[in-house]
Amino acid sequence: MTNLIELQNITRLYRSDEVETTALHNISLHIKRGEFVAIMGPSGCGKSTLLNILGTIDRPTSGAYLFDGTDLAKTSENQLAKHRAGHLGFIFQSFNLVDDLTIYENIELGLLYRSGLKGSRRKAIESAMDKVGIAHRARHFPHQLSGGQQQRAAIARAIVGSPDLILADEPTGNLDTENGAQVMQILQSLNAAGATIIMVTHSQSHADQARRQVDILDGQLVASVAQVL
Amino acid sequence: MLKSTFTAFYRSFVRHPLYALLNLLGLSLGIAVFIALSLFYRFETSYESWSPKLPQIYAIGMRFHFPGMTDNTGDGSMGGLLEELKTAYPQTEGTRYWPNSVIVHKGADVFNEQIDLVDANFLTFFGVPVVYGNSANALSDPSHVVLSASLARKYFGVTNAVGRTMILNDEEGLKNYTVSAIIADLPKNSVMKLDILRLLTPQRTALKYNWHHWGSVQVGTYLKFKNRTEAYAFAAQFPAFTDRQAGQSFGADVMPHKVLELKLIPLADVHLISPKLKAAVISLGVVGIVALALALINYVNLATARAGLRAREVAVRKTLGAAPLVLRLQFILEALLTLLLAFVVALSFVELSLPLLNSAGGLSLKLDYHADAIWIASVLAIVMLAGLIAALYPAFALSAFKPAQVLASSRTPGGGRTAGILRTGLAMVQFTAVAVAFILIMGFMLQIHHIQNADIGFQRSNLMIVNSIRDNAVTQSQRDAFAVEARALPGVSYVTIANAIPGDTSMINNSSIVRPGQVDSATESPTVSSSIVGPDYFELLGTKVLVGRIFDVQRGEDQMWDDKTSDKDRVYSVVISRRTTKDMGFPSPQAALNQIARFNDHTVRIIGIVEDMRFYNPNEPIPAKLYAFDAHASDSVVGMVRYQGLSAPAMREKLQHLWRQIAPAVPFDVTSAADNLDKYYKPERDRTNLFTMGAGIAALIGCIGLYGMAAFNTGRRVREIGVRKVLGASAGQVVRLLLLQFLRPVAIAGLIAWPLGWLALQRWLSQFDDAIAMPLWVFPLASGIALAIALVTVAGVAFGAASSEPGKALRHE
Repeated sequence: MTNLIELQNITRLYRSDEVETTALHNISLHIKRGEFVAIMGPSGCGKSTLLNILGTIDRPTSGAYLFDGTDLAKTSENQLAKHRAGHLGFIFQSFNLVDDLTIYENIELGLLYRSGLKGSRRKAIESAMDKVGIAHRARHFPHQLSGGQQQRAAIARAIVGSPDLILADEPTGNLDTENGAQVMQILQSLNAAGATIIMVTHSQSHADQARRQVDILDGQLVASVAQVL
Repeated sequence: MLKSTFTAFYRSFVRHPLYALLNLLGLSLGIAVFIALSLFYRFETSYESWSPKLPQIYAIGMRFHFPGMTDNTGDGSMGGLLEELKTAYPQTEGTRYWPNSVIVHKGADVFNEQIDLVDANFLTFFGVPVVYGNSANALSDPSHVVLSASLARKYFGVTNAVGRTMILNDEEGLKNYTVSAIIADLPKNSVMKLDILRLLTPQRTALKYNWHHWGSVQVGTYLKFKNRTEAYAFAAQFPAFTDRQAGQSFGADVMPHKVLELKLIPLADVHLISPKLKAAVISLGVVGIVALALALINYVNLATARAGLRAREVAVRKTLGAAPLVLRLQFILEALLTLLLAFVVALSFVELSLPLLNSAGGLSLKLDYHADAIWIASVLAIVMLAGLIAALYPAFALSAFKPAQVLASSRTPGGGRTAGILRTGLAMVQFTAVAVAFILIMGFMLQIHHIQNADIGFQRSNLMIVNSIRDNAVTQSQRDAFAVEARALPGVSYVTIANAIPGDTSMINNSSIVRPGQVDSATESPTVSSSIVGPDYFELLGTKVLVGRIFDVQRGEDQMWDDKTSDKDRVYSVVISRRTTKDMGFPSPQAALNQIARFNDHTVRIIGIVEDMRFYNPNEPIPAKLYAFDAHASDSVVGMVRYQGLSAPAMREKLQHLWRQIAPAVPFDVTSAADNLDKYYKPERDRTNLFTMGAGIAALIGCIGLYGMAAFNTGRRVREIGVRKVLGASAGQVVRLLLLQFLRPVAIAGLIAWPLGWLALQRWLSQFDDAIAMPLWVFPLASGIALAIALVTVAGVAFGAASSEPGKALRHE
């Protein structure tokens, strides 16, 4: 399979007035289409920074980021927005559903910023809701749902546009065991259907369900182990 | 995208009703004040716009430069000026308007009306809208009259009264006239009140001895020019023309154009010819703009504050691929929707408050959506444009959030330090405006109370003015009979007949007074306003006599000269006012006593000096006065009645009863001196009312903004408050902390307001001749009130936040 993502010597520094912090140091990583990668590491090791860079909502200080052969490091802000709308799906630990929108409208956001016909939109949203089992809550607002339901809605939003890559930042971190297992199951089946997934997690048992585990410590890649499934 | 914006707009109302209502209410109130004061401004600045010829028409104004007189430009001119102009410049196109009073007989009843004597071309010259009849020849016959539609209905019951006859009685006697045309009623914003029009004939002008007397003012004279350049070129010839025509009218050594300046005033500017009135209208317009600005500041404040609350939404949208431009468009669109809604609400506020506004401001404003569609659209455009500019900041602030940071933090971003400083700064601007408004409102009210209650040199209460005495149809014996019989009425202490009465400037006669050995020159001798008074005049008014004595009907030498038979060698008695002694150069009133002077070609002796009396506008200095005595004064005189122990209506009724017996053919017309003077106070009071309403609403808008900001800031600090309470802070300490945060900008604003309020109040007070001293206590009081209002506004928020349970606060998010 081809490499969907190639990170070459990615470094990310944070500068404040006096201190310079290295969040990521010389990270090189290749991810193939259809992979399910779990990124692990202790708090503050740079997992989320890496995920943000992969999601193009943060830029590396140096290094190259090739997505499907295109270098994203030099792309304009508007181009990146288009890239996110077209190719990426995000799942957050704290769901990040918009309070003022219904579940249906929240999922619709995943399609709003890309071109596409309205009629086909509806179908896509309904199919995404079916996949995560949230269709019966379409007219509800996020605060009327349980955490697990909210996260499933968020997953629906992430997958509604059939993205090339799903980025999940501790998707089970705010959920109890049962709901966490449900979410993992959904991710598993999405991956089985061909989706590329990169997931940051603290849970070894959830990481074990990915095909590859990447360990980060103090901003550096320490291991990249393929799982035996 | 569009649908998503509408959804967000709708949801913000449903899901955040408090924020949405505050925002909408603040905006609507501000826009409503803006619309209402724009209406007022338009009303005041569009006088005479009923005339389709408005841009080409100019009124001739006069400005006098005499020592001791205020040199305001007036819009009246000498009666014969147009004839003299036409002789000198035959191409002159002009017309005249001379308002007079007339008695209309309808059956056994008599009514007082205004009749306007005009030149034959008057209707076509102005393009007066004619409803029935022919405007070209309606005024060609001196036995014809033109009526306004409402007067036609009053006297004939129908609008089309063309061909009907009516009986009028004026200086030309009792005559029958035929109605030749009906004109539409003019709108209220018209200087001219056209009720009855009749041809101004040479026979009538011949009755006026001063028709060609340079320096007299009788009529409105209007000229027409193709354009401004032509008008200015014509006006440039005025000084030479004045010198030629006036000759030695102002003395042998005086160039007439130095003391009498002819001016051309564009017809549209005639109403606001007084710079003070113009300034007052402009400042009310400014209040409207300030109210709109305050409302928009609120909008910016609340929108940026809420931008923080929406940061997560923005971050999510950005993560999902929304470009900043798209987000900006979305927020601007939301802002425009809000403004549009606020505009509609504001229109309904204006509709609801117009009756109140009209009665408080003495106005007759109305909103006519059909006729004023373009005007309303342009006001909307101004509001939307201003709103668009205001909405840019929150739109940019919102779209600038960095999604990675927002999503990583569980805290609501406040838009950073800059946005915080901006919000505090804007709140300070608002409260500065509020405190300045309070200072001005209090200052205005104090001054108005002062002019209405100040010692004005005479007793204004329990004083009736009998205007009917002035009517040409009243005979000398009727006047004398009224004076004697009114004096005999129970409750009446004095009756007098004179041509100097409070609140009536129509009788003013100015001449020079010259002491022996001084130069007799119109440009150097002091000018005095002379009045003819009958017996008991000063006794009736309660005038304070400073030195000497007042007139005595028993002393023959007190009787003034008769213009026809005056004796050049006789010395006549006069009484002068304190101001006159100053203008004449006497070191004290005592020094003026028994002095001789020349006045109006007569030798006069000053037999007494009385205190100055403020008969006219409190804005103007009290003129220097000279009183001459006439035991049977007859020319343009009015009666005054002083009474005690009965009410004004009761007195009026007794006088009316008496008048009906003595002169039934003349309508009874009585006003109280207090009402007569009120015309000077009322405009000031009306404008203060308007200002108070506008400023009060502006203060309310400021409070709404402060409340919104307090609620937002407190919302953001819930976690901090929780931590503080866990660490042992009491509810009282937390309240103090929050109140200090909110009230500090208000307190600073209160101080900034002092110099601004001082300057504005100083400027306003300077227009009054009789102004109060700067009331220093008003400044801390105004700031204190602003602070108290702010305190009440934010106290609820602070107490609510302080009394919440810390555990709950920390579980937040």
